[in-house]
Amino acid sequence: MTNQETSSELFFEPPGPGTWTLDPVHFPRPVTRYWTETHPAAFLRGTQNMASYYGMLIDGLGTAYVNGFAYNSMRHLDEEQVPLRFGRAAEVFQNKLWREQLREWDEVRKPASIAAHRDLQAVDPDALSDEDLVAYLRRCRDHHSAMITQHMSFTGAATLPVGDFLAHVGDWTGLAPAELLGLTRGSAPVSAGASAQLERLIAAIGQDPSALALLESNDDPGGVLASLRSLPGDAGSAVSDYLDLVGFRPLDGFDISEPSALELPDSLLRSIRVTVSGRDLAGSDVNDLISGVRAKVPPEHRDQFDELLAEVRLTYRLRDERGVYSDIWASGLMRRAVLAAGRRAVAAGRIEDAGQLIDAGLEEMCSLVSGTAGPTARELADRSQYRATHSAKDAPALLGDPPSPPPDPSKLPPAAARLMRAMGISLGAIFGSSEVEHEEHLLRGLAASRGVYEGPARRVAGPAEFDRIVQGDVLVTESTTEAFNILLPLLGAIVTDNGGLLSHSAIVAREYGIPGVVGTRDATELIADGTRVRVDGDVGEVTVLV
Amino acid sequence: MPGAPVEALQGVPLFAELDRHEVEQIARLFKERRFNQGETVIREGSGGAAFFLIDSGRAKVTLGGKELARLEEGDYFGEIALIDGGPRSATIIAESDLVCFGLTYWDFGPLVQDNGLIAWKLLQSMARELRTAQQSLVFMAAPSTGPAEGAQS
Amino acid sequence: MNDAVVLAEASDTGLFGSKAVGLGDAIRKGIPVPPGVALSAAVVEGAAAGDEDVIRNVTALVAPLQTPLAVRSSAVDEDGADASFAGQHLTLLNVTSAAEVIPALAEVWWSANSDSAITYRQRVGLFTRPLVGVVVQTLLDPDSAGVMFTRNPVSGADERVIEASWGLGEAVVAGLVIPDHYRIDRSGEVLERKPGRKRVAIRPVPTGGTVEEKVPVELTEKLCLDDDQLEELHELALRCEQVYGPARDVEWAFAAGKLYLLQCRAVTRA
Repeated sequence: MTNQETSSELFFEPPGPGTWTLDPVHFPRPVTRYWTETHPAAFLRGTQNMASYYGMLIDGLGTAYVNGFAYNSMRHLDEEQVPLRFGRAAEVFQNKLWREQLREWDEVRKPASIAAHRDLQAVDPDALSDEDLVAYLRRCRDHHSAMITQHMSFTGAATLPVGDFLAHVGDWTGLAPAELLGLTRGSAPVSAGASAQLERLIAAIGQDPSALALLESNDDPGGVLASLRSLPGDAGSAVSDYLDLVGFRPLDGFDISEPSALELPDSLLRSIRVTVSGRDLAGSDVNDLISGVRAKVPPEHRDQFDELLAEVRLTYRLRDERGVYSDIWASGLMRRAVLAAGRRAVAAGRIEDAGQLIDAGLEEMCSLVSGTAGPTARELADRSQYRATHSAKDAPALLGDPPSPPPDPSKLPPAAARLMRAMGISLGAIFGSSEVEHEEHLLRGLAASRGVYEGPARRVAGPAEFDRIVQGDVLVTESTTEAFNILLPLLGAIVTDNGGLLSHSAIVAREYGIPGVVGTRDATELIADGTRVRVDGDVGEVTVLV
Repeated sequence: MPGAPVEALQGVPLFAELDRHEVEQIARLFKERRFNQGETVIREGSGGAAFFLIDSGRAKVTLGGKELARLEEGDYFGEIALIDGGPRSATIIAESDLVCFGLTYWDFGPLVQDNGLIAWKLLQSMARELRTAQQSLVFMAAPSTGPAEGAQS
Repeated sequence: MNDAVVLAEASDTGLFGSKAVGLGDAIRKGIPVPPGVALSAAVVEGAAAGDEDVIRNVTALVAPLQTPLAVRSSAVDEDGADASFAGQHLTLLNVTSAAEVIPALAEVWWSANSDSAITYRQRVGLFTRPLVGVVVQTLLDPDSAGVMFTRNPVSGADERVIEASWGLGEAVVAGLVIPDHYRIDRSGEVLERKPGRKRVAIRPVPTGGTVEEKVPVELTEKLCLDDDQLEELHELALRCEQVYGPARDVEWAFAAGKLYLLQCRAVTRA
């Protein structure tokens, strides 16, 4: 067992038996108390549904929050369940059961969820009595919980066809999943965030000169959105429908701490502007990419390539829809309810600012509305301060037992092995799960500066950590600024998460004549401090050497 | 008038024995620089470019994370790196909003070279620091018989 | 005062630095550049020292410029060095009024005389006192902006490489995002359009300064330049080559539908 102390004086204890893996991708900052109360049970139910539906060899995924940071663990399946799961996995591939799930989603779950969201959204929480407001908070929370479960229940349909595609095509072409994922994007005619409502909005505004003029005006964005909404005719109603659909969604993230689209009218208006002006050439790119990859597939497998890709295209929109129409919307609605409750508590003089209630647990929120005992404004402010001043970079990547290797695929029936591999690739990409066989020690980015160099990686976030670098290190960081120039004589190579060929890091790497790979997206998450790496600036690859 | 106000320099022991005219001339060379609370003014190990005088506010001096001293109005710092061209010997962090007056290397050098009195004063304060450092070394090298202050980290 | 002039009159790099004179050249050749003034190194130092005459003159000179303003350093001795000083210089964005320009000049002066700036200069072989002029211009609020090299800096191929993102170009220069990546060949044919991962945008804040804003999820991987804009950038590349010569590093921005040049420097190493 590993207990870990970090430099920020937080003590991390494993939340239970087994191996717990940090999820900094979905939860880069500590979450709210409400989230820690609501998420784990709902998430577990959903992942258990997924596991049994698809015949996975786990009993769902556990989530726990340690110091507010999210940790996942694969739950052990009872031995006696295993044969059932084997049988189910075979059925899944034989009958393409993900299509059943997709049908259930389209015909039953999605419309029912939308109706439930709209029902809650139609209530004006500020107009409710204290008692009714408390009941509304509980109702929103129960809905949120059910939606979290729903999101996870449908994850299999979104991820299995993709993972299956990546596994097969990876074998046939030798290309890495990271590279092949590009083929799966944009394959839906409506990409992330788009919807029938958005399509209608684009059409209606595009044909209405007064709407277009309003859209381009420089006035206060909140005012512009309100004016657009109240335009007569098609444009106004299209805007209204669209804003009702997306307005209460957090622009990013899942927790109730994230502001909703309507709270950030500037960003929302900008994204509408750009979408209406219709710049979208990405579609044509994907087709070129696909033909390019298909050409690398041996001829005898090309039919199967087409078949696998067709399943991906069919289910791809579920990747976004299962969140957007489930818990993302529900989270926005909960936030809205909490802010109304916050205003109520402020009016009663119990807290100072409505936003403080975001850091209360559900019972605490109810208490602060009905006037029974609850946390003080000071306590809530402290919790908020904690969240704002810590990040997942403060948390250890693993807690508990060291990860055990996944079952040997050659000992499993073919369908189960195929399933495990496919889900492993997808879930690994989503959760950074240790089930993924770490064959993937390769990161790709932009080849910014030529040359090949091997050396120890040093993860440095900023000037405060500069004295950790010694001669010959490979700098691994999010991005660089002129402050980093001082380090250059010490470095053997530079690797960054962000940045392009014309960014500061790329330019200085070329100037100093050291290999540079930028825009890797995830280097700081995937490369552990001190690991030996090979940086190939000729092709834009960073290999973690074991 | 450009530069620091004469009053800002008059309180500083380094300039205490100069006459008003000399102080005025020197004051003209300085430029105001402000630091926010929490800002790192100087970082240990980095090359040095400027010498600073504190006009108002407080700062703390640390080395390797350990606090060595506190500075306040009338104190100065940063001269050592300008004299020997070496790296900064300590880190200085603004504990409150800080208003300083600073001289860069190109103005500090000639100032000290042209003005023997200022040079003498600098030598005196550096000699004092050297004695203090020597005494701590002797103390730490001796076998300890009880709780030792300033024991090594 | 001939050491503080409108950009169209900046032609002495020894006074104003190559950034200012580069912009002056662009204006004189009809390339659109946001309106601005150039201040010499002596003027910047005078402002930092609190010289009242200098302060009065500068304030009067920048008064007619439409706010908000961008204050950018224009180093006078950069050309002699073997390095591009990429990012070494301070840029202060969204200075809200003429009165705020003076403290901005002091900040620029100190950043050129900071410990890290001096250390970097010494390392690249410059031991003299830094001389830093300033360009003060109207700040744009661009929809998209970025950098273009008129020759491929990695392969040396005869093609334009463009990296772009939403909002102010600092997101690309400072590497805060994975920008969109485009390549155009000499004939104007677009060879590549690769969307990046543009999660943040730097935008001006009405009260001054800038903010790093999260980009809505549906725009992070959406191309921020269309073919018309790429064609305009291609033409800008041709003009820059005519005015300045080959292998140029161009910072540009699209604001209210118009393309502007913000800076044009030599690419130091291809």
